[in-house]
Amino acid sequence: MSAKLTTRLRRLGALAGSLVLASAIVATFGISRLYAAQAGTPSAASASQENYLTPVELKFSHDGTKLYVVCEDDDSLLAVDVRTRRVVAKVKVGHKPKDVAVSPDGRTLYVSNEWDDTVSEIDAASFTQRRTFATGWGPVGVTTDRSGKVLYVANSMGNDVSLLDLTIGAEIKRLASWRSPHHLSLSLDGRRVYVANLLGHLGSPNEPPVSELVVIDTAKQRVAERIEIPGVLELRHIAEAPGPKGGYLLVPFIRPKNLNPLIQVAQGWILTHGMAVVRVAGTNGATQTKSSVTQILLDDVDSYYAGTNGVAFTPDGRHALVTSSEADTVSAVDTAKLERRLHQVPAEELANRLDSAREIVERRLETGANPMGIAISPDGRSAYVVNRLSDSLTVVDIPRLQVRGTIDLGGPKQLTQLRRGEQMFHAARFCFQGQFACATCHPDNHIDGVAWNLETPQLGRDRVANRTLRGIAETAPYKWNGHNPDLETQCGPRIAKFLFHSEGFNTTQLADLVAFIKSIPLPPSRHLAANGELTPAQERGRAIFFRKNCDTCHTPATHYTARTSFDVGTANQYDTSGLFDVPQLDRIVQRPPYMHSGEAKSLEELWTTYNPEDKHGVTSDMSKEELNDLIEFLKSL
Amino acid sequence: MKSKQMWRWFLGVVGSLALLGPACAQKPPLYTHWENFTTANGMPDEKVLSVAVDGDRVWAGTENGLVLIEKGKIQKVYKPEDGLANRVVTGIAVDPASGDVWLATFGGLSRLSGGHFHNYTNLTSGLANDITYGVAIQDEYVWVATTAGTNRFNTRTGEWSIFSEKNAPIQEPWSYGIAVAEKKVYVAIWGGGILEYDIAGGYWKPYTDPDGEMEIVLFKNQGLIHIIVSNIAWNKDTQMFWASTYFGLSGYDGRNWHNYLSMDSGLASDFINAPKSRGDEVWACTDKGLSYLNFKTNTWVTYRPNAKTGRGEIVITAPDKKVTTMETSTSLAHNYILNMDFQGDDIWVATATGLSHGIRETTRESNKEGKVHEHTTASR
Repeated sequence: MSAKLTTRLRRLGALAGSLVLASAIVATFGISRLYAAQAGTPSAASASQENYLTPVELKFSHDGTKLYVVCEDDDSLLAVDVRTRRVVAKVKVGHKPKDVAVSPDGRTLYVSNEWDDTVSEIDAASFTQRRTFATGWGPVGVTTDRSGKVLYVANSMGNDVSLLDLTIGAEIKRLASWRSPHHLSLSLDGRRVYVANLLGHLGSPNEPPVSELVVIDTAKQRVAERIEIPGVLELRHIAEAPGPKGGYLLVPFIRPKNLNPLIQVAQGWILTHGMAVVRVAGTNGATQTKSSVTQILLDDVDSYYAGTNGVAFTPDGRHALVTSSEADTVSAVDTAKLERRLHQVPAEELANRLDSAREIVERRLETGANPMGIAISPDGRSAYVVNRLSDSLTVVDIPRLQVRGTIDLGGPKQLTQLRRGEQMFHAARFCFQGQFACATCHPDNHIDGVAWNLETPQLGRDRVANRTLRGIAETAPYKWNGHNPDLETQCGPRIAKFLFHSEGFNTTQLADLVAFIKSIPLPPSRHLAANGELTPAQERGRAIFFRKNCDTCHTPATHYTARTSFDVGTANQYDTSGLFDVPQLDRIVQRPPYMHSGEAKSLEELWTTYNPEDKHGVTSDMSKEELNDLIEFLKSL
Repeated sequence: MKSKQMWRWFLGVVGSLALLGPACAQKPPLYTHWENFTTANGMPDEKVLSVAVDGDRVWAGTENGLVLIEKGKIQKVYKPEDGLANRVVTGIAVDPASGDVWLATFGGLSRLSGGHFHNYTNLTSGLANDITYGVAIQDEYVWVATTAGTNRFNTRTGEWSIFSEKNAPIQEPWSYGIAVAEKKVYVAIWGGGILEYDIAGGYWKPYTDPDGEMEIVLFKNQGLIHIIVSNIAWNKDTQMFWASTYFGLSGYDGRNWHNYLSMDSGLASDFINAPKSRGDEVWACTDKGLSYLNFKTNTWVTYRPNAKTGRGEIVITAPDKKVTTMETSTSLAHNYILNMDFQGDDIWVATATGLSHGIRETTRESNKEGKVHEHTTASR
């Protein structure tokens, strides 16, 4: 036997021994899968599959020893040992998980699966799945009530909140939220659940947006109040200030000046980022019987912190930490200074003041790429920020307000073209003063729901509604006027000149970004049966679609767009031309408002209000029943 | 001494029972005290078209806005400037699950949730017509009675369905009222009778007047009294629906019809705007007062204000047609009754000149309150 062969046999023997030992550990500690990832040593299996984890949310176990991390691209939930900073367990959940809730007794975890319309119930000890619950469409935010008997689920696609009875494992009621609810939070006293809507009300494109925070009374299980937050979009996480001086909520947002020409970005202040300070009526945070909202910005005058997203208070309430997901930053806000600032400056001024951050932000800390949720340890000594596009957690030393380190969650270390492109999509550094990233106006690769004065210097001219980036690879040309033949043109010189006011992306970066945008998939259709069969109303609507020759412009073979421009009589007094690119109809129901101007708040209005001359199809002879059927068919696409 | 007192007390009780006994046997619990909400104390309009109770809250739809009454006071008046689709609120339904208040108005359908309105109109949604009269909740579905048919709105999928003469067995699309049962939905069609929708099967069944449009009842169990049906109510206790027509009251128990006319019952008038029913109680909102029928005993009670005295009048018609009248110091706001709802033992009544809160008192108190005049009417 050669020495080489002997060595190999010894290695094999050692490997076998290790496997036996590992099996024994698994059997002993009852963990279904021992996950070997640790800082700097990603698992070989993950690397070979180039399967990024893309962690989006995290929660602490009640004893503070573990962090539960939701990974949306890996369809998994991880358990991270806080002391060893290692991933110690992993369980597969449904498709596109978004959030996790820990039961009051700490024994059960609930993970929302956005693309499966389910919640996975996980046994926290064995890290195995127990049950799966059906929810509404697109479940994202989850929280239990104080008793642990009811789970609240924000359904982003259904625009409502499901209440699941965890004893019977079924939905008991559904409450309307209106517009893409994402984040939920149980109040510290357990009496309320707060729901943050990502998108604003469907309103006039001539008015600033209005967003809404929904307050649910957990005793009555009814909507108690809808708190309007004017002038802002993209309400994200919700944190309640603890302690006797607390009681108020912080809700990060973006504040777009979409009625101003975006070309004025060089003058700054077009898209600011901050948070709403909400004092909810009936809580100790409110001095009056009516809820109040004050807005405060976290940007500096010459440097913006785009994509305010996660927020959490330290247990003593002295600091609030806020992530800026497109600036790769976490800002530490001194809450005493925040209180002072709120008293010093009138609320109507504060929303537009860019000098607040220097007063209230004590420290800016660098995170990994695309930081989202944040969790603070029960002892208040550490904060953990989940870095969505770095597959890592940033650890913050709270007493020192310094970054203490990074926890690598695993996943491949090499960046693929798509991953590079996605990172750029979420990076505001390419924009002048870091005012915004692509993702700022395209949250979840979709729409922000408002119309923008994009490229025309005249105030109010040629204002166009934001268009989705989902499933657009084969829908060129781009822009509402159809002037950009490809995404390279759309995202290259155009963005650099008109939007970012910077050098924009170089050739390689542009190729990466375009590759990523082309890869953005369409979410599942909720209006089409799983077997693809149409309902009777959809069948009737399909017949009308073809009888009315809708397919001439909305060509089924090419995503229901003829990929050219037509004048269908929708131009308004602010438009230079009446020719507009034919929008694709895939998932059309998921993206109101409609038309180039964003004036049509519903599909119905396209024909009842904005087709007076029958140029957008001859529809004036249709009965209301036929119109309803046509719309049901469109929803199925 | 002690035994003498005991004896007197015993005689007193027996004597009182002997006096009250006949009245107790005849009379159901009565509403002898009325509190009225009118324009004099904060109602935005004298005409109250609809009323719905949600626990401690009372919602009233008027010709000029929606009113919320709680703790005995008007708490809030909602107008179009607050977001309400239209000032004329004809129908109200509270979703028992969500607490959202759905409102049929003359400008579309409104949903009040968390203090904010969300409106659905013919132009912005699949609503058949903006003139809506009734609204009802069936699980996640909202049913709406409109002048162009009956709408069903799926709040989860956003799907709107229209049921009209084009796809349902009716000649008239003009829907006035909707009632939801466990397995059925009933629609009152003005000029088209009643439509019954089978929830599981998804099909319709019509109930019409077998004698055409004759405004008479040929025999007791003939069927629906008339095809001009103004509203409909479901009684889950007796599993019966009750339909109000402009020519009498019709009830159906699944096998037999129970028809009532003013000429041969204690019904105040054959012109009925709405029925309501629970347990053995059947209520008819007529143009000449609010009539109550104890379906089990066939005892009738009608409440109306006395135009001359301004006091309340209670007319009790016993099964043997014996009529007893009583007067009360307070009364309904008006004898033209448009709608009503229950709040525990109390009732809330929508009238032409205000909303009336009827407080039910015990029989003994009723006898103390009322000034009783008894007489028998041969025509009854």
